Amino acid sequence: MQMGEIVKKQKSRIETLDRPQRSKRVLDKLFTFGAVIGLFIYFSFTARNFFTARSILTLILQTSTITIMGIGVTFTIITGGIDLSIGSVIALAGTVAVMVAIAGVPIGLSMLIGLLVGVICGALNGLMITRLKLPPFIATLGMMMVARGVALTITNANAWPAPGNFGDLGNKTILGTGPKFPGIPYPVLIMIAVALIFGFILKRTAIGRYTYAVGSNEEAARLSGIKVDRVKMICYIFSGLLSALVGIILASRMVTSQPNSAVGYELNAIAASVIGGTSTLGGVGTVSGAVIGSFIIGILTVGLTMQGANYFMQQIVIGLVVIGAVSVDKLKGRR
Amino acid sequence: MTTRNGNSNHDVILEVRNVSKSYPGVKALDRVSFDLRRGEVHALVGENGAGKTTLMKILSGVFEAEEGEILYKGESISFTDVTQASKAGIAIIYQELNLIPHLSVAANIFIGREPRTRFGTLDEKKMNTETKKILGRLNITLDPTTLINQLPVSKQQMVEIAKAISFESEVLIMDEPTSALTESEIDELFSIIQNLRDDGVAIIYISHRLEELNQIADRISIFRDGCWVSTDDYEDIELDEIVNRMVGRKLENKFPPKKNIPTKEKLLEVRNIVRKGVIHDISFDLYQGEILGIAGLMGAGRSELVRAIFGADPIDSGDVYMNNERVSIKSPAEAIKAGIAYLPENRKEEGVAVTMQLDENITMADVPRISRRFGLLSRKQEEEIAQHYVNELLIRTPSVHQVVNHLSGGNQQKVVVSKWLFCNSKILIFDEPTRGIDVGTKYAIYEFIEKLAREGRGVIVISSDLPEVLGLTDRLLVLHEGHLVATLNTAEVTPDEVLNYAAGLGSSNQKQAQVLN
Repeated sequence: MQMGEIVKKQKSRIETLDRPQRSKRVLDKLFTFGAVIGLFIYFSFTARNFFTARSILTLILQTSTITIMGIGVTFTIITGGIDLSIGSVIALAGTVAVMVAIAGVPIGLSMLIGLLVGVICGALNGLMITRLKLPPFIATLGMMMVARGVALTITNANAWPAPGNFGDLGNKTILGTGPKFPGIPYPVLIMIAVALIFGFILKRTAIGRYTYAVGSNEEAARLSGIKVDRVKMICYIFSGLLSALVGIILASRMVTSQPNSAVGYELNAIAASVIGGTSTLGGVGTVSGAVIGSFIIGILTVGLTMQGANYFMQQIVIGLVVIGAVSVDKLKGRR
Repeated sequence: MTTRNGNSNHDVILEVRNVSKSYPGVKALDRVSFDLRRGEVHALVGENGAGKTTLMKILSGVFEAEEGEILYKGESISFTDVTQASKAGIAIIYQELNLIPHLSVAANIFIGREPRTRFGTLDEKKMNTETKKILGRLNITLDPTTLINQLPVSKQQMVEIAKAISFESEVLIMDEPTSALTESEIDELFSIIQNLRDDGVAIIYISHRLEELNQIADRISIFRDGCWVSTDDYEDIELDEIVNRMVGRKLENKFPPKKNIPTKEKLLEVRNIVRKGVIHDISFDLYQGEILGIAGLMGAGRSELVRAIFGADPIDSGDVYMNNERVSIKSPAEAIKAGIAYLPENRKEEGVAVTMQLDENITMADVPRISRRFGLLSRKQEEEIAQHYVNELLIRTPSVHQVVNHLSGGNQQKVVVSKWLFCNSKILIFDEPTRGIDVGTKYAIYEFIEKLAREGRGVIVISSDLPEVLGLTDRLLVLHEGHLVATLNTAEVTPDEVLNYAAGLGSSNQKQAQVLN
């Protein structure tokens, strides 16, 4: 009887306190999202032609690759790791897909082979980290060099032209109505699909839950029966797969093999993820955050370009945004 | 005025007058007064949340008091940071030690104020000789060049003490100093504390382990819910009375009545487990409805034994049978599937995922159970499950979505327990379940362990707290240096006997051990 009362009392306390806490979290998200909108409005007023269907589509198209990479690397960062091989895997997957297409393999199949290359690179990263117990920084640094080297070797460091319809994926659109609205590019659709699927995996499935658990407390996760090594493998494979996807999109857009492309892209991916609230200490991060982070980078890049700021200026601004975003998170955490 | 008063009988070095401090929503200290004399060990006790730690943090300059006044050597002080306090001679040693693992003993003692040579480089030689002097004064035998991470916790703690002494501290505050020490290490620590006291150092000694206070305390102050309750000479107060004042109600017993009845049904048979150099050929049984204790000194292999059974550490040979069938357990995942749960010793390091929410922690060991079609996790079900355990175990939290980091130690422990209840584990292994947990919560955990056994589960409890092992268990395994030296019926054993076995001395009463073996 008495016990029951205590329980009831406590329960009512929980319900009253639950609401403000939740709305605070929603507010946090709105804040970063608000930053995107704010930037967007700012450039709409200050950069000529920024607010047109055409340039908005260009913006989204350019951002789509950062978003896809950013989502992949978010998984590895949440586990407490990192993936430095993204740029090289992009180049390798793209060149392999182009080279096998040139050799006569059907386009679709050659793209699948490209994706497979990414999966293999990711799996090798995962094996080095879980079996050889290498720090993720070292393992993926090695992979970054090896994958780049392989891409240069198989192409002889040349840009080979791919068969004609290899370029469809990267250049075609749907729902186009003419020059005013050229349609939604396929890569944008791919980005949306990737964000939905991987957001779902991370937030709503067991593997996503395990990803957080491993990053938050690896030993507690292991003692809870979570197969830590398998979780890490999957995360690095995700990152490899999504890098390869970007590689194929880029190769398709250029319709050539580009062994020298995407150098340093992993840093943009990491920046997007971190701006979006992923903690490099592990255990914290979201797909929506990575999306928002990459759009902040994308809008800044495009907006500053249209304002006439040069590339160097963009680098300075984006660098400051990374530092600022993480500082804000830190300050919030301390409060 | 009060100082004069104090001086007339005793030499009061530190006096706290009507000090208050609030956190959002909580009054952590409510007009607290208390005084500390030179050359005394002043025990400070109270449940978690009683305000002890807050007071210590104010004294050592971490927080500032909102109201009231602190007199140190007769002068009103208000430190704004820790350096000021330590320079003035007030040092604090936290439960979690603040040493840098990859640096030497000497480097840690002199960190931030290293002596320099003429050329501006570090004067290692001077640091080492000075360190040796300080250690010598405390009768600690340690090489100043040893790296901290090569020392056991007990020695690390002594380094902390040496560091405090090197500041010529006159007030030393120790927060739960014995929580990670074995009996013999505690004796060593106490003799050091006594030496310091005899040298005139005033020591505030915070502890949950009331039993050990009679060895060390001169006076005792009791706090409850942010208020000062009483200060007495230790001789004048009974242990029961201390506990009553701490909890504010009468605790009839420290342990719940044992109502669980061990059956003859073997839940778990462990046979000839060997992990080279750590566990030597250990066999034992666990019966349904039984609470089995594992006692032994630190380093005796207690945690290692249960970790091996749980699949957390590899074994070299040996078998485990459950319900008369041999089971192969090579990983925690397999152990959990077999129905075994392990609640590790270090909650923060091994038990909870601190950045995750309470509900996510509870379902962590059996996520598939809340999975729906396409692997979708049911948030609603998860919430209900968490709510159920919050109610059942009276977990104090503002919400089931609370990030575990923000919960108190006792509540984190309850979250870990909930996790294993959710898995329907038949065998629960508790490793130091009440370390660093206050008296009231302790009782709740004992009750709960007893209830688990009553419901027909098998429970294994590892504890360094001898009264706890004796008060809680039905049978007792005693380990010594990786060997099982005795299997005892708890009801028939005295604390001395257990200690003798644990120390590897055997027992004067060998017969009893043989009968039970």
